[in-house]
Amino acid sequence: MSAETQQPLSPTTGEPISTIGRRARAGLWTLIVMDAAGTIAIIIAYSYLWSLNVNAGWAPPGAALTGSETDQSLPSSPPKASFAVEWPFWAILGLVILSTLAMWFGYKELKRGNRAGMIVGTGAALVIAVFTLIAQWIQISTFPFAAGDGAYASAVLLLCASNIFNLIILIFLQLGMLIRTNKGLVTKAVFYQPQILSYWMVWLCIAFLLGAICTTFMVESPNVNPAIFGTFDQQS
Amino acid sequence: MSTETITPTSTVFGAEVPQPKQHGKPGGIMRRLNLGTALIGGVGLAAISGFVANALIPAGASTVTFAPVAPDVVYLAILVGWTIGFSAGIGAFVGPIRWLFGRDLTHADAEYMAGKDLGVKRYFKFTTDHKVVGVQYLVVTMFILGFGGLLAMLIRTELGVTWSEVFSPGFYNSMIGTHGIAMIIAMIVSVMGPIANFIMPLMIGARDMAFPRLNALSLWLLVVAAAALVSTLFTGGIQDGWSVYQPLASQGPPAMLGYQMTIIVFAISTGVASVNLMVTALTMRAKGMTWSRTPIFVYGVFGAALMGLYAFPFFQYSQIMALTDRIWNTSFFNPLQGGSVWLYENLFWLLGHPEVYVIIIPGTVVLFEVMPVFLRKPLFSFNFAVAGIVGVVALSGLVWAHHMYMTGWAPAANYPFMLSTEMISIPVGFLVLVVIGTMWRGLVWTRLPIMAVYAVIFNKMIGGVTGIYLSDVPVDQYMHGTMFVVAHFHYMLMGAGLFGAMAGLAFYFPKMTGRVLDERTASIGFWTAFTGFQITFMAMFVAGLQGMPRRVLQFDSLFNAPNWISTIGAYIIGLGMLIFAGAVISSWTSGDKAPANPFGSKSLEWQTPTPVPLENFEVLPVVTQKPYSYGVVDPYQKEMDAADGDLDTQKVGSNQ
Repeated sequence: MSAETQQPLSPTTGEPISTIGRRARAGLWTLIVMDAAGTIAIIIAYSYLWSLNVNAGWAPPGAALTGSETDQSLPSSPPKASFAVEWPFWAILGLVILSTLAMWFGYKELKRGNRAGMIVGTGAALVIAVFTLIAQWIQISTFPFAAGDGAYASAVLLLCASNIFNLIILIFLQLGMLIRTNKGLVTKAVFYQPQILSYWMVWLCIAFLLGAICTTFMVESPNVNPAIFGTFDQQS
Repeated sequence: MSTETITPTSTVFGAEVPQPKQHGKPGGIMRRLNLGTALIGGVGLAAISGFVANALIPAGASTVTFAPVAPDVVYLAILVGWTIGFSAGIGAFVGPIRWLFGRDLTHADAEYMAGKDLGVKRYFKFTTDHKVVGVQYLVVTMFILGFGGLLAMLIRTELGVTWSEVFSPGFYNSMIGTHGIAMIIAMIVSVMGPIANFIMPLMIGARDMAFPRLNALSLWLLVVAAAALVSTLFTGGIQDGWSVYQPLASQGPPAMLGYQMTIIVFAISTGVASVNLMVTALTMRAKGMTWSRTPIFVYGVFGAALMGLYAFPFFQYSQIMALTDRIWNTSFFNPLQGGSVWLYENLFWLLGHPEVYVIIIPGTVVLFEVMPVFLRKPLFSFNFAVAGIVGVVALSGLVWAHHMYMTGWAPAANYPFMLSTEMISIPVGFLVLVVIGTMWRGLVWTRLPIMAVYAVIFNKMIGGVTGIYLSDVPVDQYMHGTMFVVAHFHYMLMGAGLFGAMAGLAFYFPKMTGRVLDERTASIGFWTAFTGFQITFMAMFVAGLQGMPRRVLQFDSLFNAPNWISTIGAYIIGLGMLIFAGAVISSWTSGDKAPANPFGSKSLEWQTPTPVPLENFEVLPVVTQKPYSYGVVDPYQKEMDAADGDLDTQKVGSNQ
């Protein structure tokens, strides 16, 4: 039976590949729900701490501290690259979108029967994703703050760590897709894997976009008169 | 698929299917991996990670709060090493690596991984067959329940012996915390693990779960998490309750990292299990099994999985943040640097309350499967049951802050949360009505599973009504933090959840083990435990109403009497559980062989042979009628009978 002309069957279960694909797509949607819940947890943490500014400790780089006693205890780190908390979030989002477009190009080419196009698209998407991972790492290592420099630093670093985790998974999947396409395991008839990867990447773009929106439009806390709580350290 | 990679074909369920190249013997490296290699890998990598971390930390290094760094970092390295080493040793990474390099499984590989011809060994491997995973879940759940139950007995011993201190305060606190989280984990998986995994694919006419390797992964990650939890007892203990509120937890011993790692890994396990259960229910139902013909158990499992899917990531991230606060000095929950402890409480309870329904819904729907069989009548108002499940799922995410009335967080939100909490009693009431309606005028075949339904309904009513009290802000102001709350949630989680799971186990035992359960002994155990349960927790209600605070080691002599009674009740529960477990183990090892359908059930899972063959069904079934159609004439069968009748008439006519 030629897989290119007839509906191929799964070697393990004997079911039509379209059935396996339908199952995998359903799995993808549930995974997106799970990942979205995690992303929402991060966004809640970011926006909650931003809105409260407890003990004036939100403290984004360059923000004027209100001069409370606890503010003075914030460790000060030497600024490395103040622009790292500005446009790089959008640059990284742009790279992820570019990688997604490349992946979609490859997938569309595969659907047209052009396997070479799929290899080119996936390869380009992979290279861009690797470059994005490096860029994300450079951004983290040049932030003008350390993890202990207040709630803003914590929230931004968690967002970036989540991005890195997503990018590592993405690179693994894209590399696998490239190898499998090259080996002839991904074809016009067996297309569900690049399809769900393409959909997954659209979700990643949304997740990265939410992070970029937070880090751009929610920098200075709106709470200029924050609550000052005692701490266990002070009590002791 | 290209001709270079696919050479031979294989007959897979009657179809000739091209196969990828077979590399070596079927199963490949999985033939060498099992629980032994997992333990070697886990312990080995944990030891190496610990030594390396210890070597890399400068001597005398301390955190900003002057606590030594080494214990935390070394313990975390050990936990990470254990998780990766165990997963690698059991074979969890083999599938992704094979996928990466395009070495797809052949049918022979898949059969090996499903445990074909492996005998008992398959229970100690990364086996993908849903029936094996179900049995593995059952055993692991029983171990966790035993561990948590033992801690409960020790806690009650301490509280019962009111004239002396049996355990140190620190160890007592860690027993409370460890008991709490161990039991929560065990209860979450008690139906969703063993019964849903084993039974649901059979019930919907499928050959396996949608993603068999994810199924095995979820089970073995549970083992990883359970070991991490046990390790906390040796690293200072979880000393601030199962909710490990911040900032208290951040000042606790290194065991807090064990708790955090347990939750992070368990959340992944639950997530992949939820994905698997939901996709199986959505896409693998037999032909003809429309939603109105789908058993209610499938709805319940789907709903519980959906709640787990959206709620667990909040819990997971709360623990990731707590971990980074501790190790990397971030300040999510440290008010000194802009963190907020209310953030923790919100994230925690965004899981904490839906989790109650993740436990109760499967424990309830398994009773819905039991009742029609032993009452020989259809489930009362199937649509009400579905509406109840949908209502609970929809409202489950809107009630979390009733756990925070007294924390001072958003007092203005107390009353909306009171309203949403009381509203959820409406869909829960639907489920109770379905039980009562089904039982109404039913002729009861008095076997253990159906008798357990009475026990569960009794407990659920008490737990539910006291829950309505506690959801009222004014009442909660008085009751909050007392033993009344402890009694209430035990009535829900243990009284409804665990006793429901026991009913489910008694019902499905013949199908799962191939043996007949010694119902007489199991019933003695069940009712002994039920009696002990009432004694323990009714006395606890009294102590709570008198004002006894929870989680305390020492208390006023005013509370002596209810505590003595409670402790006696706890020993009776322990005795009952031991008898029940004894009946299960002895029946499993030496019970009579079970017939395929000992209760005369009409649902699909009972139409398979016992023991169930690897492929479940020789030919996939086609569903022609609604479930629970006891006493209802099957129109298809009627048509067949009519056709037979016509034939007979014709034969008679021709003879004349």
